[in-house]
Amino acid sequence: MNVPKDRLYTKTHEWILVDDDIATVGITDFAQSQLSDVTFVELPSTEDQVAARDEVAVVESVKAASDVYSPVTGTVLDINENLVDHPEIINDDPYGEGWMFKIKLADPEEVESFLDADAYENSLPADS
Amino acid sequence: MNAVKGYAVYFDSYVPYERAVCIQERLARARSEEEIPDTVLFLQHPPVVTLGRRGATENLLVSPENLEEKGIALYRSSRGGDITYHAPGQLVMYPIIKLGRAGADAHGHLYNLEETAIRTCADYGVEARRVPRKNGAWTDSGKIAAIGFHIKRWVTIHGMSFNVDPDLEGFEFIIPCGLHGDPVCSLGSIKGKDTPSIESVRESMKRRFEEVFERRLDARTTDQLPDTLRRIWPE
Repeated sequence: MNVPKDRLYTKTHEWILVDDDIATVGITDFAQSQLSDVTFVELPSTEDQVAARDEVAVVESVKAASDVYSPVTGTVLDINENLVDHPEIINDDPYGEGWMFKIKLADPEEVESFLDADAYENSLPADS
Repeated sequence: MNAVKGYAVYFDSYVPYERAVCIQERLARARSEEEIPDTVLFLQHPPVVTLGRRGATENLLVSPENLEEKGIALYRSSRGGDITYHAPGQLVMYPIIKLGRAGADAHGHLYNLEETAIRTCADYGVEARRVPRKNGAWTDSGKIAAIGFHIKRWVTIHGMSFNVDPDLEGFEFIIPCGLHGDPVCSLGSIKGKDTPSIESVRESMKRRFEEVFERRLDARTTDQLPDTLRRIWPE
């Protein structure tokens, strides 16, 4: 299972890439693999105010629906509208083109509590 | 194997769809807070047609009023998947489990549900398989198990329905899973007088679940629930 070292992770299988006070969020390789072929993505709206642990997006495959949580508190700055027409990008490139939304952090220190790549990788099933 | 321990709950009377959803949502909340271990419900529903979150009503071939006259309820469900039919004689398995714990989870929940159905069929000499781009478990006679689930905070709800010996007529009111022209079958339609009882299939499916999902389950009937589950069980 691919876990890039350049970003942070949550126990609920989201990744967070922080640049200054802006966090880009997506779901991990493990998360996309649990859902199999993604067929539908529901995104938040820009300017939405979100709190950490809020349900802000939904990712669906033919037989599964999974909620996606905002790992952080802040304002939605941008969403990846490309996913609406091409949801399969989440499977193909979950850490790159498959990013889901960007949030302007209300409190940049909030990200200090997340898992680093090693800790996240250790939390995954052994033979993944 | 056997690293993770949980409960199998056996229901001895039919569970209305709405009540099963209520039980699952309570269990899922408690599971995500680590108040209870992984729990797998084994039950039968009274006749009901359910639509998944993106389920299309055009796959319902009769009017809702018509269904009602036939004593069939209609619900929209939070699960993935399209339209399906549940009825007595169909064994429903709803695993409320936290994904990412057992090594088996690396295969994906959908794969594991299909695998459980396929191995359960094998216990009765019925060969079932996956069909590309069509989820569920398929035999030479048609689809025997349907799958649809929802993941909330990486806890699963909903799951799989497996046709032991339901009245298959109800499937004629829908286009199952929105797939045209694909027949639905059951152990009963394949095995005739050698059809196993639902209790036998339940034991088999529980054992196959333990094997595939790498989780050991203590089986309890609803009147023998452990305190951890009883505390949160709806009235």
